[in-house]
Amino acid sequence: MFDTLYSMFRLSLKAIAANKMRAALTSLGIVIGVAAVITMLAVGSGTQKSMAERFSRFGTNILYLRQPWDLDESISSPKDVTMTDVLAIRKLPGVEAAAPYINSGFEVKYGYTSTSLDVLATDTDIFKTYDWELESGRYFNEKEVDSYAQVMVLGATAAQTIFNDMDPLDRTVVLDDIPFKVIGLMKKNGQGGMGFDMDEGALIPYTTGKVKMNAGWNSSDRRALDRVIIRVKDFNTIEDTKLDIMNTVRNTHRIHPLAEDDFQLDDFASFVEEAKSASKTMGILLGVIGAVSLLVGGIGVMNIMLVSVTERTREIGIRMAIGATSADIRLQFLAEAVTLSCIGGLIGVVLGVGISLFVEAHSTSIPVQLSLFSIVLSVGFSAATGVFFGFYPAYKASKLTPIDALRYE
Amino acid sequence: MPLIDTQHLFKIYKLGDVEVRALNDVSVSVERGEFVAVMGPSGSGKSTFMNILGCLDKPTSGKYILDGIDVTATDLSKLAGVRNRKIGFVFQGFNLIKRTTAVENVELPMIYNHTPMHLRREKAMEALKAVGLEKRAYHLPNQLSGGQQQRVAIARSLVCDAPIIFADEPTGNLDTKMSIEVMELFTRLNKEMGKTIILITHEPDIAEYAGRLIKFKDGQKISDERK
Repeated sequence: MFDTLYSMFRLSLKAIAANKMRAALTSLGIVIGVAAVITMLAVGSGTQKSMAERFSRFGTNILYLRQPWDLDESISSPKDVTMTDVLAIRKLPGVEAAAPYINSGFEVKYGYTSTSLDVLATDTDIFKTYDWELESGRYFNEKEVDSYAQVMVLGATAAQTIFNDMDPLDRTVVLDDIPFKVIGLMKKNGQGGMGFDMDEGALIPYTTGKVKMNAGWNSSDRRALDRVIIRVKDFNTIEDTKLDIMNTVRNTHRIHPLAEDDFQLDDFASFVEEAKSASKTMGILLGVIGAVSLLVGGIGVMNIMLVSVTERTREIGIRMAIGATSADIRLQFLAEAVTLSCIGGLIGVVLGVGISLFVEAHSTSIPVQLSLFSIVLSVGFSAATGVFFGFYPAYKASKLTPIDALRYE
Repeated sequence: MPLIDTQHLFKIYKLGDVEVRALNDVSVSVERGEFVAVMGPSGSGKSTFMNILGCLDKPTSGKYILDGIDVTATDLSKLAGVRNRKIGFVFQGFNLIKRTTAVENVELPMIYNHTPMHLRREKAMEALKAVGLEKRAYHLPNQLSGGQQQRVAIARSLVCDAPIIFADEPTGNLDTKMSIEVMELFTRLNKEMGKTIILITHEPDIAEYAGRLIKFKDGQKISDERK
């Protein structure tokens, strides 16, 4: 049995080798399909992995308060999240720290250098929520927050970009036409963040950002904060603390006991859920793309196999005359179709892995994670494509009678 | 018991309302070890007769017993095995598979009877040796002369130790010198290996090599002479 299959496989390779150009063009559809699927799966699972890593580094003790993106229209007068909420939340026993969080991008200038900077406008509680460490200088203090001070704490990578190897401390940069003095420099933490990456950004007092620079989504309302970031004291009682926070905010927003919340409180788990459902959608999309390209590739294989059967009618007659059964003929053409599509699949794998590695090596923003599963899956699918689309031509070949096949010119 | 025994074979084609009797009541029996030439003009029914004897086609009616097997009662799809074990074919156009080497062509019938791989090469080389082509084993068909190609085809017909060789105009595409070579080979296979050979030809001097001559005309056997 193994002998026979091996012989069939060798015959297939010979037949394919006899028409290299044609085989190459035929399997191109499958090559592209498989390569695309592998690359996109690698990018997809890389993205998912890096998001999961960010979340876990972020800590499970972190909560976000914000106005929902898709605010229920039944809520008559939704209130923005403001410092009133922050101050109320801070008083709760389960809360370690609560800080306003207004994240905007600004153009930063220093001398002739000009670059974009990710700016987080916040207050001193931010230093208690994240595990950031100072390299040199100091954080801004409450007095500076209250007095709209034009000071900033700069991230390591951003400092490098703006100042090269100069010491940034006590130098003044211009953000949106307003001069800021750099009072602190962060150590590089390499963590990234949820939207805000400390390494690439800078912290300024929220008062300054809000009043002098109109930072944030809701720039018309000077009181509106984009979000409040909250650190709870104990993860084990996080659910109780969440309830406390929600009651507190309902209070400060004066929401009627029967009315819906006009805010949203997210924790680590809900971010993970969101990411999961996003990646699931992406997975379905990728599956569809893969299926379509394999379908197109499969039709190509079928087409060329039909041509091949016609061209080789006489050969089929010879084989039948010397003892090949219909099943042998069917198996041979099926083996050929499967070999053709598997070669396409393997080239596709090589190409897909190559592209993924190239992306990984040349891009810092696109995370890539290759998985053996996706490789096995796509090779398996291309083999299945070969079987499925090779069956009809093979069946057609096996239905020839030896006498007709031998007479075929 | 004769090796080949046909009784009252008919092969009737219907072309519209016209009935064509390609074979009209043909009964022939061939003993083991005979060398038979079948002659006749085109349309005489000799090719139809050969196709039926070669288990490539079935008669409309009549009976055909091949080496004890009732071929007429066997399903056409099961005849592949009979062809493989009992019959070697040699065709006018050689019918080798172009992209495979001589020895691989010879191995082909053994793939279909599941001979183990190491035995296949061995037996194929033996068969090539029997036709004097062992030195050309790894040549492709188009690197061989017509006579050599036909000898490869003969080696292929030998390799499964089938008792019968059917040769359909085997010298039709060959010049005189090559024809003589091939016919001498057939004679040797008949004399030394005891192969039963049935040869279709329309050339009288080729038919001369056979020990028995059957002539066909209009779907009927008109003469059957032993030398």
